[in-house]
Amino acid sequence: MTSTFFRLILTSLILLFTSCMEWEYGLEEVFDTSASGEGLFICNEGNFQYGNATLSYYDPTTKSVQNEVFYRANGMKLGDVAQSMIIRNGIGWVVVNNSHVVFAIDINTFKEVGRITNLTSPRYIHFLSDEKAYITQIWDNRIFIVNPKRYEITGYIEVPNMTMESGSTEQMVQYGKYVYVNCWSYQNRIIKIDTETDKVVDELTVGIQPTSLVMDCNNKLWTVTDGGYEGSPYGHEAPSLYRIDAETFTIEKQFKFDFGDWPSEVQLNGTKDKIYWLNDDVWEMDVTADRVPVRPFLPYNGTLYYGLTVCPRTGDVYIADAIDYVQQGMIYRYSKERKLIDSFYVGIIPGAFCWK
Amino acid sequence: MKKYCVILIFLLLPSLVLAQNKKTKHRVIPIREVTVYGVRPMKEIGAQITKFDSLALKENIALSMADVLSFNSAIFVKNYGRATLSTVAFRGTSPSHTQVSWNGMKINNPMLGMTDFSTIPSYFIDDASLLHGTSSVNETGGGLGGSVKLSTTPAEAEGFGLQYVQGIGSFKTFDEFLRLTYGNDNWQTSTRVVYSSSPNDYKYRNHDKKENIYDEDMNIIDQYYPIERNRSGSFKDFHFLQEVYYNTNKGDRFGFNAWYINSNRELAMLTVDHGEDTDFDNRQREETFRSVISWNHLRSNWKLGAKAGYIHTWLAYDYKRDLGNGIMAEMTRSRSRVNTFYGQAESEYYIGNKWLFTASLTAHQHFVESRDKNIIKQDGGNAIVGYRKARTELTGAMSAKWRPTDRLGLSVVLREEMFGDKWTPLIPAFFIDGVISKKANLVAKASISRNYRFPTLNDLYFLPGGNPDLRKESGWSYDAGLSFAVGKAGVYSLSGSATWFESFIKDWIIWLPTTKGFFSPDNIKDVHAYGVELKTDLDLALTQELTLGLNGTFSWTPSINKGEPRTPADQSVGKQLPYVPKYSSTVTGRLSWRKWSFLYKWCYYSERFTMSSNDISLTGKLPPYFMSNISIEKGLSFKWADISLKGAINNLFNEEYLSVLSRPMPGINFEFFIGITPKWGKK
Repeated sequence: MTSTFFRLILTSLILLFTSCMEWEYGLEEVFDTSASGEGLFICNEGNFQYGNATLSYYDPTTKSVQNEVFYRANGMKLGDVAQSMIIRNGIGWVVVNNSHVVFAIDINTFKEVGRITNLTSPRYIHFLSDEKAYITQIWDNRIFIVNPKRYEITGYIEVPNMTMESGSTEQMVQYGKYVYVNCWSYQNRIIKIDTETDKVVDELTVGIQPTSLVMDCNNKLWTVTDGGYEGSPYGHEAPSLYRIDAETFTIEKQFKFDFGDWPSEVQLNGTKDKIYWLNDDVWEMDVTADRVPVRPFLPYNGTLYYGLTVCPRTGDVYIADAIDYVQQGMIYRYSKERKLIDSFYVGIIPGAFCWK
Repeated sequence: MKKYCVILIFLLLPSLVLAQNKKTKHRVIPIREVTVYGVRPMKEIGAQITKFDSLALKENIALSMADVLSFNSAIFVKNYGRATLSTVAFRGTSPSHTQVSWNGMKINNPMLGMTDFSTIPSYFIDDASLLHGTSSVNETGGGLGGSVKLSTTPAEAEGFGLQYVQGIGSFKTFDEFLRLTYGNDNWQTSTRVVYSSSPNDYKYRNHDKKENIYDEDMNIIDQYYPIERNRSGSFKDFHFLQEVYYNTNKGDRFGFNAWYINSNRELAMLTVDHGEDTDFDNRQREETFRSVISWNHLRSNWKLGAKAGYIHTWLAYDYKRDLGNGIMAEMTRSRSRVNTFYGQAESEYYIGNKWLFTASLTAHQHFVESRDKNIIKQDGGNAIVGYRKARTELTGAMSAKWRPTDRLGLSVVLREEMFGDKWTPLIPAFFIDGVISKKANLVAKASISRNYRFPTLNDLYFLPGGNPDLRKESGWSYDAGLSFAVGKAGVYSLSGSATWFESFIKDWIIWLPTTKGFFSPDNIKDVHAYGVELKTDLDLALTQELTLGLNGTFSWTPSINKGEPRTPADQSVGKQLPYVPKYSSTVTGRLSWRKWSFLYKWCYYSERFTMSSNDISLTGKLPPYFMSNISIEKGLSFKWADISLKGAINNLFNEEYLSVLSRPMPGINFEFFIGITPKWGKK
């Protein structure tokens, strides 16, 4: 009987011996986009904690898009929440926030050439030289100083009056030897860093939660606040767009929005004489204007705009629609005459752009 | 594979040696008698109920209810890792659409709406059943998918009893279980303790990232997929359950249950995390105390019952970062407290054997406090982002059940709910069953109901993002099916059922990101869920000493987004909801011979979409998987004690699989259990 018992066990094991989960690993595609002069990278954030961030590449000349190019070129995932990207000397630097990494990729082949790790929660990278860059963080009161050539962290800039828990430093622009940074989450200021001493030397209070920072052709900084949210112990106010003189580090002009508006994504055109932003509609304004235009550049048409960029060469305006945030987002490309030129699907939550 | 064969033999070896012990008494698992159509309980007229027997619940001490549901029901368990958050999708719905009760008291977290089944050890549950869809209206409202009813029962002990089980498993996993019981004609007491701990650092090949090898000039000269360990996934879970029951034997029963949980779990790093695990501490701690006192007054044709209970939950989430000097600085420090008071009164009244009337009124009073983030205000002072709220939840129901003939049963339930100051319309449910063939015990069942689910407290008030303007979700559903049962006492029993269900849910609440960097919920989806559930059970006596038990389930559950497109580019309308498999299936086979028992558990989930548009992208798909677990058990009976020895192999074929993106699951792993039940002078 013992043998019958074990024979039955063995038979059932053999019958059920199935192993079936199918994975496709290790496939690496070869890309070479060096022939096309112009190109647009789209960072698709993906869903927080799901590790499904992706990188898309769009050729405006041929109107063709390639999705998941990082994965396809490298045989590995980009990571969790692709936050931003910049290009320097043919290398693209992709900041992947919740993967605690900045990837360096060849912008023509999309192949990884190196990575900076051990970051807290990186948001943006700004180069001072080939061997020195700053990386801003959220949930950390330090800006990391790195050597991009060696992919090493070399130091930190402590931001005053900021704890780890309320830490938030965002976008960076440089004027002379100073780097300006907007402090966003539960913050209300722009800080000024001396790049020779790597110290915060000044700060300027603006409205609640400045979300972005650019510098126009006249060396004026532009930031827009989101005004916080209802019930926030930090406060809730009408958001504003600010023009700040980089030289004197003072507010020149404040453009107030209605209470409850949610402006975001201040961007510049190629000549840096027009700014663009999102506030349900897409807005455009001369950098010398004294008031916000009455009519938007592109009116709201049922599309939930999440990201924005302007082609530095043609002035075409690209807007990202994240739809329901759990499917491939759509990019709409408009000419500066407001005509729809193209539209294409990319990855989940397209949030940031980078021009080749 | 050779290595695993050796381990398999090692696991079987003690059992083989012990097989030579001729003194052991034989234990034959009895073949269940086929339920006679005439004694179908009045309370269950037309209801679709899945009951878990003690063989499934008490299979081993390392199992949680998430494991039991995975391998014994058609419910999809979304598992974020071993000993990590495990939520369910019942009939294609979301985790908060499954209402869960313990000894009558609702234990869904009032802030989140869902229940983490990985924190419920199955050894603490004596009675578990699923009420599918409409059938949940018999017990509670809000179960748009259904409800899970968990309870403890008196141990039926005579004198003192003790049971101790020690488990040792892969990844330095230790499970300890102790139960002390005492009972006489009137009193039954039971004390149960479980402690489970593990560094949980199982190895897996990480296909989501590569390690670089650089030359001196920092050029990449090679890359490889690293074999990593599950990083920061350790857990220590302690459970204590005290029960006291008193039966007057004159129709009154009193009960007291108190369950304390102390859980300390790290949240494992994602496969795409390039940080060092020593640089971060990502941890969730929980202390929960649940208690219920109950009184039942039973008479020949009526019953009165009353219950009161209290739940306290303290949840802490800490995300810390090493500053480089060994000091771990808080990046996120989140705390929440929930205090819930519960009361219930219920009655049943029979008129003859044809009518049953029931009524119940249940109240839950929640007090919650969420402290999510510490910030520095504009004036330099400190503040906490969070909220404090209280909410009263009432649910009352009346039912009339009528069985005019042996062959026909009809039941009507009317339920009404109040959450805060908002009421549902009347929730009606209608059930019918009828015997088609007495010989085959072929019974047809059907039911239909409306149902509503109120937003959770986080949905309404969480900062940032809570939306106080949310509407309650509403739905209606129906099901219809056939069941049969045939058998011969002591020889075989075979039963099965097939059910078709369909439900429509409006105003489905979903949290979405905003341009301000936080998430906010909204009523955005209308969902049509439908499908088929099949179940079958077979018990067979192959010889007098050799019995075979087989049970299987199969589900086909399309769950389709029927809402309006959110934007012109929306591709999600008409598509399956993310993370809800269309097909799932389980099979459990148990072969018993004398005091030997061999168990094979198998489950299958079809491909799950991770995008609402159902795109199958390279980074977004979750392929289907089969999972196989086996165990072999041997019981030994000595004069002084009963001993049981058990070896188990999980993920027998060492599948690389994921239940959720970027959350690795363990490969093949092993467990060994030894259980001792002293006889305390009994023979």
